Amino acid sequence: MSKKNSNYLTIKESRKIISYNIKQMKYYESLKKKKMDVSEYTSVMNDENNIIEIDNLQTHFFTDNGTVKSVNGVSFNIPKNKVVGVVGESGCGKSVTSLSIMQLVQAPQGQVVGGEIRFNSDDLGYTEDGKKKAYNIAKMPTKEMFNVRGKDITMIFQEPMTSLNPVFTIGYQLDEVMFIHYPEMSKEDVKAHTIEMLNLVGISMPERVYASYPHELSGGMRQRVMIAMALAGDPKLIIADEPTTALDVTIQAQILELLKDIQKKTGCAIMLITHDLGVIAEMADEVVVMYAGKVIEKGTVSEIFKNPKHPYTIGLQKSKPLITSDANEPLYSIPGQVPNPINLPNTCFFKNRCNKCINKCNGNYPSEVKLSDTHYVSCYLYDEGGNSNE
Amino acid sequence: MLKYILKRLFISIFVLLGVSIIIYTLVRMMPNDYLDIKFASQLGQGTITVEQLNEFKAQYGIGDNSFKGLVDGYFTWLTNMLKGDFGTSFKYEKPVAEVIGDNMWVSFAIAVIATVLQFAIAIPLGITSATHQYSKRDYAVTIFTMIGISLPTYFFAAIIVKVFSVELGWFPSTGLISAGETYTKDFAGFMAKLLDMGHHLVLPILCTVILSLGGLMRYTRTNTLEVLNADYIRTARAKGLPEKQVIYKHAFRNTMIPLVTLLAGILPSLFGGMMITEEVFAIDGIGRLAYKALSEGDIPFVMGYNMFLAVLTVIGTLFSDIMYSVVDPRVKLGK
Repeated sequence: MSKKNSNYLTIKESRKIISYNIKQMKYYESLKKKKMDVSEYTSVMNDENNIIEIDNLQTHFFTDNGTVKSVNGVSFNIPKNKVVGVVGESGCGKSVTSLSIMQLVQAPQGQVVGGEIRFNSDDLGYTEDGKKKAYNIAKMPTKEMFNVRGKDITMIFQEPMTSLNPVFTIGYQLDEVMFIHYPEMSKEDVKAHTIEMLNLVGISMPERVYASYPHELSGGMRQRVMIAMALAGDPKLIIADEPTTALDVTIQAQILELLKDIQKKTGCAIMLITHDLGVIAEMADEVVVMYAGKVIEKGTVSEIFKNPKHPYTIGLQKSKPLITSDANEPLYSIPGQVPNPINLPNTCFFKNRCNKCINKCNGNYPSEVKLSDTHYVSCYLYDEGGNSNE
Repeated sequence: MLKYILKRLFISIFVLLGVSIIIYTLVRMMPNDYLDIKFASQLGQGTITVEQLNEFKAQYGIGDNSFKGLVDGYFTWLTNMLKGDFGTSFKYEKPVAEVIGDNMWVSFAIAVIATVLQFAIAIPLGITSATHQYSKRDYAVTIFTMIGISLPTYFFAAIIVKVFSVELGWFPSTGLISAGETYTKDFAGFMAKLLDMGHHLVLPILCTVILSLGGLMRYTRTNTLEVLNADYIRTARAKGLPEKQVIYKHAFRNTMIPLVTLLAGILPSLFGGMMITEEVFAIDGIGRLAYKALSEGDIPFVMGYNMFLAVLTVIGTLFSDIMYSVVDPRVKLGK
């Protein structure tokens, strides 16, 4: 394998991959449609104060070139009423993690194949030994998921320009959320609620926006509408997938301000996905740094920014332009490229780009090292115990 | 909106003039004319002289084939037409408008039923094959409809006539009403006649529908696939909409935009008849009449028929533009 160009596949190999993929996709698709008892997709929360606990999540894409392990054993928690920032470069699995929480991964190629996503729902109550019950979204049938999406967990997408349906009015698209999740509400109540939401996200003429079509609004306005849509069902968690990437800088600041405001007002948790470290520093309480489908470091925002441990996190920080940095000096960039996501070796994925590599790094993928109650890092530099062969 | 429509209608006058010039020139440039064909045998036997034939031609207004004669002939036709007179068909020996009016409705009935069936079958097929892309269902639908596209009308018509008419004897193979049948003039007689006509029309309609399904189905499939990958579909799912509503409400409204324009654009084919199908099944619809008229050089009829189609096409495109603005809020007319 090492000698051969890994992009080249013989017909035999290609056929083998395709038939394997079809089998896998069929299997996982059938799981989604299977009728299950509630007990099969419920689990127990480790900590009642978390809204989401992601535990060893694995989301794979079955492509014609082989299986891409986009999310490869990710674990982190989203506490109630906190903003958790997820950073990493393009293709590191941030978005796929969030889509897995929503069960919106591009099917049938993309499938959650393992791990748990425990969602702390109030519908379920407690177990006998006093632990909070939770839905396991990784195993939940699609039919049940409809009740969670848009109501308990909502999502704001990256592209406000294309995320609204061009043939329906803003009002209708917002009303729809309430029609699905609160069918007992009257039409007038729903409209009043929608107008209230539009007001909440700072739209000055909600009545007019209610009746207009998406193409009549600017990008910033549309993103506000998307936020209003995410808020309408009174969610416990809002996933914001790079909500400001497609907007210009002044609007970015407004939208972030708005998100923060809303988070304080409503007390929901926010999972903020971005590759802008400035945004994370501004908004997040906790930070998760991802690389090639794995969490390499996580901690509170001050731990990550003041005391970054993983060489990748340090590199990310260094490659951020500062107002004080010398304009004549080239900006630091991490050497090398993200490894090919197919057939990753079982070593540290960052090994080849790392400037602090030690002998131990040739071993298995490093396990998580606990630095403090909140700060974890996956790197041999901080691994003092003999548990490297775990 | 009204201003826009009036403007379009004004422009279409010039379009129609251009069309009429082209058609007239083309028809006059045919190597044979009506009288040559009609009197070919008499001329051969010598019962009619060339001089007499030329005299006839002059009377019919097709004697002078020089440029001046062409222009003169065109303007005679044009002035008559502006007065509302499309001339008298050489072949059918009746006013052109009357011939078209009398025979149009059979073709129209076939076309309307066939189109409705075609849309009713092709759109759901297209959507299921898009939502189950690369599944067995998708391949089955695609193969079936592709067979439909690839078969020539006369060949497929011959096959279904052989199977359903000759072998099974379920349906009559040609004509519109059973030969030798008489119907009373009351309501019962009328219903019996209608039923008989319906019985005769089953095969032509079946033939038309199967042959035209493929294109529309592929069109729907491609459109649906494109729409299903759009960001707003993901938004709709993220809202918690059940999959059925995502597809049949959010996606379908968008898939419909190009389909509606397509539907509005088929207006000419609704009235224009189907030459080959009508010819094979020997139904005296407008398509068959036009085919015969064309092959015999019946200039007034061919002109009248083609102008009729041109007017329908112009109206059809206008209608389709208007429909566009109805289904797609992003399109505003009249700017």
